[in-house]
Amino acid sequence: MLFNKRTERIFIWVFFPLALLLPLFLEQNTFYVSKLTSIMIFALFVMSLDYLVGRCGLITLGHAMFYGLGGYLFWMLAPEYTEVNFWVYTFYVCMIAAAIALVIGFLVLRTSGIYMIMITLAFAQMAFYFFSDSIEFGGNDGLFIYMKPETSIFGLSLFDLDNPIHFYYLCLLSLFNTLVFFKLLIRSRFGRVVDAIHQNPGRTTALGYNIFMFRLMSYVIASALGAYAGYLFTLQYGFVNPSMLAWTTSGSALVMSILGGMGSIYGAILGTFVYEGLHYGLEHLTEHWMLFMGILIIAMVMVFKNGIAGYLEKLLEKRS
Amino acid sequence: MTTSLFFVQLINGLQYGLLLFLIASGLTLVFGVMGILNLAHGSMFMVGAYLAWYFFEHTGSFGISALISAAIALLIGIAMERGLIRHLYRRNHLDQVLLTIGMIFVFNALQSLLWGNDPLGVPVPQALSGAIPLNDVLEYPIYRIFVALLCIAIAFVMYYMINKTRLGMLIRAGESNREMVECLGIDIRRLYTIVFAIGVMLAAIAGVASAPMSSIMPGMGEHVLITCFVVVVIGGMGSIKGAFVAALLVGLVDTFSSVLVPQISSMMIYILMAFILLIKPQGLFSS
Repeated sequence: MLFNKRTERIFIWVFFPLALLLPLFLEQNTFYVSKLTSIMIFALFVMSLDYLVGRCGLITLGHAMFYGLGGYLFWMLAPEYTEVNFWVYTFYVCMIAAAIALVIGFLVLRTSGIYMIMITLAFAQMAFYFFSDSIEFGGNDGLFIYMKPETSIFGLSLFDLDNPIHFYYLCLLSLFNTLVFFKLLIRSRFGRVVDAIHQNPGRTTALGYNIFMFRLMSYVIASALGAYAGYLFTLQYGFVNPSMLAWTTSGSALVMSILGGMGSIYGAILGTFVYEGLHYGLEHLTEHWMLFMGILIIAMVMVFKNGIAGYLEKLLEKRS
Repeated sequence: MTTSLFFVQLINGLQYGLLLFLIASGLTLVFGVMGILNLAHGSMFMVGAYLAWYFFEHTGSFGISALISAAIALLIGIAMERGLIRHLYRRNHLDQVLLTIGMIFVFNALQSLLWGNDPLGVPVPQALSGAIPLNDVLEYPIYRIFVALLCIAIAFVMYYMINKTRLGMLIRAGESNREMVECLGIDIRRLYTIVFAIGVMLAAIAGVASAPMSSIMPGMGEHVLITCFVVVVIGGMGSIKGAFVAALLVGLVDTFSSVLVPQISSMMIYILMAFILLIKPQGLFSS
């Protein structure tokens, strides 16, 4: 079975049907639809980071670079006033991001541990200042996307990106596909080797595997998916700006992933929704939401040893 | 670039580097001895600056305010270690990262709750105001020179403390083998509390010292944190000597690049870090 843990199956059976039905109740309220859409986009981004950090043991504080690149690459590639095809540009954006990740990964993966955290941060900061200090890329204000792509395949247009409900379902589908993709990847031969490298790099090398190549491939895959999330974000809001690549974006993604339960993949969705939900809820209750947010984060670290997913698993698996 | 301008930039760079060392030394000390990655370190820099402002407003003396602020920072450090960090030694680095990010939230919220979000300023103390003339046209503020000398003095005290005193010996021992130190009957938990509190106090002292030089405002901690991580990593995690060399290097590169190559000056220290890590993946002075 693809989803081998009971908790995971319960979560998927609760979350996805609920997410499928939700727009029917929120039809009147496009604000919540677009809010949920942006949380799902970020959950996709967090999921790609979770695979890298939790599954491969490659901790990066520069993942937001690819999130931002997803947006900037689309702006650079697409003509300003012509409608382009969504699928074609998804392919372009992901492929170019993957190529960039191949080069950067080749450099950063030579280091490990805390040094890798810092060198990924260094590259992300370079990218950040590259975009925020240049006039051609709109500096700090970023850039607007005037034309949203059309989505036809072989002349058949399935949905319209300008419609928030359609876009919501596109993001939900993307999130589900990414989850299934990572689950299949983890179960595959490739995933088994990555798992072995995570547990014992020395022994895996001794078994004859080129661990650098496996790490590099994982880095490229996760980065391309991170760029896809950034591309979706840009399409949703119609702009791209340097704060997408700021180190705080990488930092909060890392927080959500640890909060959800490192390496559990579905925990990324949990972590992102809990974090963003708390953020949104507390922000409405009090001006000093950061105080309560901080205390809650501290409390959750103290109580949950393996994030929310780990806690739920302990709760549910014991009874079965 | 004229000689005098070069000279001013050189002093600026060194002075900035020394201040960076003061903050980074606490960060690298805590990491080296305890293996804790304290992201809330930058917040303590901010807290130091705000405390300096607060007590200056109430006592009217910058000296007294600096002493009270340092003492309070020491107490905050003890409370942080005893109350929270202590429980996470056996957990992985990422849990510590999450905990200290939670602390950043709390410190930022307390700052806006207690002192508001408007930029504040502390005047340069009377005795240290004024400037030393460098030549006919250029002069250099005395206070900045004072801060540079203070940083050098603290560097010497730390060097002496770590290499010549009993406490320093225990710190070095704890760094290389925690269990063995415990077996010798030394209370390593108390040692950790002391080290953490000293680290926090160093960051706060740097905040106090920089209060009269720059405006005190929200978010000042996060900016400093990232620069200090660059310093600590270039120097080699846990190495105080490395942090000293790296801080001066980063200070000089940052200052000179903003004069010579202003287009890419914000990127320069990151380019420097990436370059150094690609040649020496463990930093300059890795232990």
